[in-house]
Amino acid sequence: MVMELARPRPIWQIMFSTHHTDVGLLYLITSLAFMFMGGALALSIRAELFFPGAQIIGDAMTFNRIFTVHGTTLIFLFILPFASAVGNYFVPIMVRYKDMAYPKLNAIAFWMIPPAGALIWLGFADFTWYATPPYSVISAPGPAADMWIFGLKILGVSSILGAINFIVTILKCKHPDMPISRVPLLAWSFLSSSLIVLVALPTFAAALLMLLTDRLGASGFFNPAVGGDPIAYAHLFWFTFHPEVYVLVIPAIGMMYEIIPRFSRKPIFSASSGIAAFVLLSIVGFASWAHHMYATGMSFTEKTVFMVGTLAAVPASAMHVFNFLATMWGGRIRFSTPMLWAIGGIALFFSAGAGGVVNSAMPLDFVTHDSYWVVGHFHLFVMGTILFGSVGYLYYMFPYVTGRMYNERMGNIHFVLSFVGTVMVFFTQHVLGLFGMPRRVYDYPPIPEWIAMNQIASVGAMIIGVSMVIFLANMLHSTARGRPADLDDPWGLGAKYYYPYERKNPQH
Amino acid sequence: MTHRAPSLAILALALSIPALPALAATEPGEYLDRRAEIWNLFFRMMTVAFTIGTVVSGTIVWLCLRFRESNPKAAPTKYEEAGEW
Repeated sequence: MVMELARPRPIWQIMFSTHHTDVGLLYLITSLAFMFMGGALALSIRAELFFPGAQIIGDAMTFNRIFTVHGTTLIFLFILPFASAVGNYFVPIMVRYKDMAYPKLNAIAFWMIPPAGALIWLGFADFTWYATPPYSVISAPGPAADMWIFGLKILGVSSILGAINFIVTILKCKHPDMPISRVPLLAWSFLSSSLIVLVALPTFAAALLMLLTDRLGASGFFNPAVGGDPIAYAHLFWFTFHPEVYVLVIPAIGMMYEIIPRFSRKPIFSASSGIAAFVLLSIVGFASWAHHMYATGMSFTEKTVFMVGTLAAVPASAMHVFNFLATMWGGRIRFSTPMLWAIGGIALFFSAGAGGVVNSAMPLDFVTHDSYWVVGHFHLFVMGTILFGSVGYLYYMFPYVTGRMYNERMGNIHFVLSFVGTVMVFFTQHVLGLFGMPRRVYDYPPIPEWIAMNQIASVGAMIIGVSMVIFLANMLHSTARGRPADLDDPWGLGAKYYYPYERKNPQH
Repeated sequence: MTHRAPSLAILALALSIPALPALAATEPGEYLDRRAEIWNLFFRMMTVAFTIGTVVSGTIVWLCLRFRESNPKAAPTKYEEAGEW
């Protein structure tokens, strides 16, 4: 399973391979490339908002294009493909099968991502990652919007193919000696998130088709001028994309379940409660979509139902946090880079969840609605939990992928700078929202508090940017020249890993 | 009988809950500033959130300090000795 640097293969052998580790590697490289591209757009947004008035971005339309592509890239072209990279690499190994269930389908699912990314980046649409109607139907300019719709359509098909592959691999191809209850929690996280994808995504696929036919003038589903209803789009969109939040976060939690026991030198406190929490999150994720829409004139009863549905996710999330803390309790913890990221992820997961409870409580939602609070909350989840879990796992899988060790000191610096930067940007954005700053704005009035908080957030973003440069340097240098890793025990923890990575699985 | 007293007290309290709204009834025509009410609710919830957050964060910090491998009290876990983790 190691990328054999000592005997490198021609690049085309990896590109046209259908083996799960090769496809995983392609997913990994592609997702990281998009992470840096989307991150660069985020820095330009923060640089623009450092002062009121126009700074480095010429006009509001360009600003809209930048934050649309920023969001679309990081959600659909970084986080989801990164999870697929991890799943491709480790799920077949964990269920002790030679490959994914459908290797060619797996490769096809990956190869849909580059053209979809090209459509999104070459079009550079301006209607937010939500494709806000009626603007997206009536006046979003030209081919850009249509390219975005086609790009998302392709990514949706790719996700569904990937989800089918994970489900079949885990349920039908696992080793006969391995009961489903003994399947590792990381594989369980992929099973749960794949089931959500299968249920949630077709709704958005239909919504995209309706949006496209609206734009072509063949229908008027979301066009109020011909009797359509933009709120219908909001329902269809959030029916997919609130559960999609769990599709993003569940694999990241699964990754933490790999890291924390290993570096605590203990088994997971309760694997069964982890499985139960994954299943619970997968179900209650569908009971909360309309909490994004309290301000659209819903009835009190509807709002109450969705508030309770949203709060139902709290116990499941708390089960994970408790499981992590109980696993660490009584352990002998080594704070290697992956463990630092996982612990930082737990702390920020809790903070993001606490902010989410405020959003989901309907009277309070009106205080924070459409303000920077929402930006802070969402990003704290995506960056603070999902990215921290993912980056921690990237360090964790690095020796297994490359056969070499990363630079531990640079990994620690990367963590510290990212943690400080994340707190500076997204905690501040919560307060900025309470001070009334609306989100998705290109310019803002020169209110001293707003200026100060925007500057704190922008400085935090620059710190994250610096940390990512260190990360890139570490990855590139260590891949080529890092010291060879002992694959039985890369971190010197004193024991072999408990999954059948090398010796016990003759396929790898 | 004495050991039942706490249970009876809780039961009496539970039975009295339905009567509480009548006791707490507001004066008719009282002015309600919704903005102030919502912000009051927000600050109350923030107080709860920060309290729980402090407990959780404090637990994480304490776990990291107490169970770090460089702690003088640190000892190999039973799983390490068995090589089972």
